[in-house]
Amino acid sequence: MNTNKISRRNFLKNTSIAAGGLFVSVVIPASPLVEKGIIEAKASDTSLNAFIHIADNGDTTIYCGRCEMGQGISTALPAAVADEMEADWQRVKVKQGDADEKYGPQGTGGSASIRIMYQPMREAGAKAKAMLIAAAAKVWKTSPENCIAQSHFVINQLNQQKLGYGELASIAANMPIPEQVTLKNKSEFNYIGKNLPRHDQSEVVVGKRIYGVDVKIPNLKYAAIIHCPVLGGKLKSLDKSEALKRKGVLAVVEIPRFDVPFGSIGGVAVVATNTWIAQQAAKQLKIAWDLGKNANYDTQEYKKQLVNNVEHAGVVTAERGNIKQAFNEAKHIVKATYTGGHLSHAPIEPNASVVWVQPHRCEVWASTQSPVDIQNVLGQYLKRDPKEIIVHVAMAGGAFGRKYKCDYVHEAAVISEKTGFPIQLIWSREEDMRTGYYHSINAQHIEASMDEQGNVTGWLHRAAFPSISTLFNPSLVRPTARNLDDINNHLFGIENFRCESGEAKAHTRIGWYRAVYAIFYGFAFGTFADELAHKANKDTFTFLNQIFDNNHNLQQQSDVQRAKKVLATVAESSAWFDRDKLPQGQGIGLAVHYSFQSFVAMAVHVEVKGDDIRVLNVDCAIDCGQVLNTDGATAQMEGAVVMGMSLALSTEITFREGAVVNSNFHNYPVLRINAMPNVNVHIVHSDFSPTGLGEPGVAPFAPALSNAVYAASKKRYRDLPFKPLAV
Amino acid sequence: MSQSIVINGKTYPIDVDEDMPLLWFLRDHLALTGTKYGCGSGLCGACTVHVNGQAVRSCVTPIKTLRNQKITTIEGLSNNGDHPLQKAWLENKVPQCGYCQAGQIMNAASLLAENPMPSDDEIETAMQGNICRCGTYQRIKKAISDAAITLKKEA
Repeated sequence: MNTNKISRRNFLKNTSIAAGGLFVSVVIPASPLVEKGIIEAKASDTSLNAFIHIADNGDTTIYCGRCEMGQGISTALPAAVADEMEADWQRVKVKQGDADEKYGPQGTGGSASIRIMYQPMREAGAKAKAMLIAAAAKVWKTSPENCIAQSHFVINQLNQQKLGYGELASIAANMPIPEQVTLKNKSEFNYIGKNLPRHDQSEVVVGKRIYGVDVKIPNLKYAAIIHCPVLGGKLKSLDKSEALKRKGVLAVVEIPRFDVPFGSIGGVAVVATNTWIAQQAAKQLKIAWDLGKNANYDTQEYKKQLVNNVEHAGVVTAERGNIKQAFNEAKHIVKATYTGGHLSHAPIEPNASVVWVQPHRCEVWASTQSPVDIQNVLGQYLKRDPKEIIVHVAMAGGAFGRKYKCDYVHEAAVISEKTGFPIQLIWSREEDMRTGYYHSINAQHIEASMDEQGNVTGWLHRAAFPSISTLFNPSLVRPTARNLDDINNHLFGIENFRCESGEAKAHTRIGWYRAVYAIFYGFAFGTFADELAHKANKDTFTFLNQIFDNNHNLQQQSDVQRAKKVLATVAESSAWFDRDKLPQGQGIGLAVHYSFQSFVAMAVHVEVKGDDIRVLNVDCAIDCGQVLNTDGATAQMEGAVVMGMSLALSTEITFREGAVVNSNFHNYPVLRINAMPNVNVHIVHSDFSPTGLGEPGVAPFAPALSNAVYAASKKRYRDLPFKPLAV
Repeated sequence: MSQSIVINGKTYPIDVDEDMPLLWFLRDHLALTGTKYGCGSGLCGACTVHVNGQAVRSCVTPIKTLRNQKITTIEGLSNNGDHPLQKAWLENKVPQCGYCQAGQIMNAASLLAENPMPSDDEIETAMQGNICRCGTYQRIKKAISDAAITLKKEA
């Protein structure tokens, strides 16, 4: 775990606001040069900036304020800092920052970390370099212009004298923080855009990496929880006598539903001397629930309603041109309806945290994507100033959007507050699967008109899904206009267009899941484009280029070119142009999708035998602007293919009588290694500013797969997952 | 007479309810947290350890079945993190979140002990019980093949 020995006062003592609202400050011990009497001692503590600490032996710590869950951000951003400050990466240790506004925004989602932090963190590195150079210039009584920084040293170019960063640190910290710095050119990068390994992988392979689930503190007690299975329900009766009889059980705690975003859904917890006893005793609780108004939620029925809603007129949220006229003059009219089910993130590390609530102190160690939300929710619950809640951010063993919501941390806080113990609460896999925040169940209906040349002249798009916005505004009964923005702003060039929102009330907690709405928008747009291409008697590659070329919106021209480039890259690198030579039963599907400001295309090559779909090969091309870490980018795409395959083929959360039926990996079959295709990732050279990659890779997989299966077998899949398991 | 268990070469008394699965004895009593909880039902493989060299799922293995047996966890797989699989994992930059990787490596080590030169199909079959939700399967396959070649050269 990450303990911060530097006092808050020291951190705040020498701060300034850099561009992007970042606070910069660091404490550095006295310089060896002071001890040696080379320079005069001035201050007993000193600062560079919030992200950088340099010890007097030169060992450098770079703090990452964004949360790490496997996406590699704690390597990518600190490496960019090290690059700008001319640090030697071998001398750098990365530490995860606690919840603290000095790190800038810490809520980690929306594939935003690199997009919003690349520039300010590089500036922090460049400012540190300027201060180190200024320090050296002072020692040498020369001008900073005569000095350069290189690999943890400042060098006097007049006489080749060198001073190490460790020797200079405390002097540097007393230098004024420069207001403006010049960042490096691409050609000067040492680490940005290179193939750096993750900073922590050697700890991972020996089992020493500490995740939220692994945190131990003195006198820790262990808790397990059983939740109310239905959103809005509450405890009717509880018989805890059997559970309390069990040796090792210390307490049974009721946790009422806490009706704030990310508060507990309500449950009963058992506290024991280890997790196993707590889990076993929790099974002995006799609980009756009043299930409340969502007790009849049934996803099979609900999906039918959504389909019905999108196959009839909805509320118009956006319109351009004259869609009626376009349809009247059409050569072809094509209609299709697409659906998808709820999904559970199911990271292999279940929700876990350690919380210790004391009368005047509350300390949290959690796998989390949003430490600030923990501060806010616990602050609300405990009626304390959120800033007083100390949150140590632990490595998350996967998250995928789930760990942005801190209900599990709130529950640990309730248990600790009521028992006085420091509490580790680990959700069982069953609770994780049954009382999560689910990806929206969804339906979309598209109708399009085409002329004789296969130009799409009109497009009616209706979507119905319970919106994530219902977490914050439960009275919403349909997607908001903003939820549908990505439909309106799609890069396909369509002159006459209408978007409609269909009714879809939420009956469970809806939450971000890796790629979010792009999962089903990408599926509908990508699959429907293939259906249109077949209707127009064109190959999909030609058709997609044509529909992009029909985009005459001047503001989207650069985006359209980037989308076309990634598409061309996968068509050329896969067997697309030789697809006529593929054996019987094989096919290739193409899809391209723009989301989270990045562009991803996939060519999926399948073999279909009867109902059996085997994915042989996936070519994936990305344009996310300047890439920070080529290996990290590649890994994100490989992972996106696996998650895309799970949701395209097999994963779905089913509700009956208000509650989730799935319980564990036997009836929520995520992809296993035996189904893994060969994945080739192609990074398109791009000088645009960097954008994120955690999510955009998921969207194009399912449509490319649907298109590939159609090419191989003439069977069209329009419902995700293609092969739901009966549960 | 009290029973004992040997973990990574050290003998520990079994001073807990003997129905407790090994996983929780390792994690909550010995603070050997490299072995992970993922499903509690032997479905995900995150908790894989060796019992006398064979991969088992510690989340469904009661400690009473392990009296006087030799257990190896990820912390004891090698002295310096230098098992050929651990090296191949680093070389291939396998981990993303890394949570499942201890289980993956332990399962793979058991495979290579039995089958020093597994085919791709044999790797897939042997590793099917280990889920990686981040999706590192392609690199896991490559790392196991690489480690098999290293072991052959060392033999």
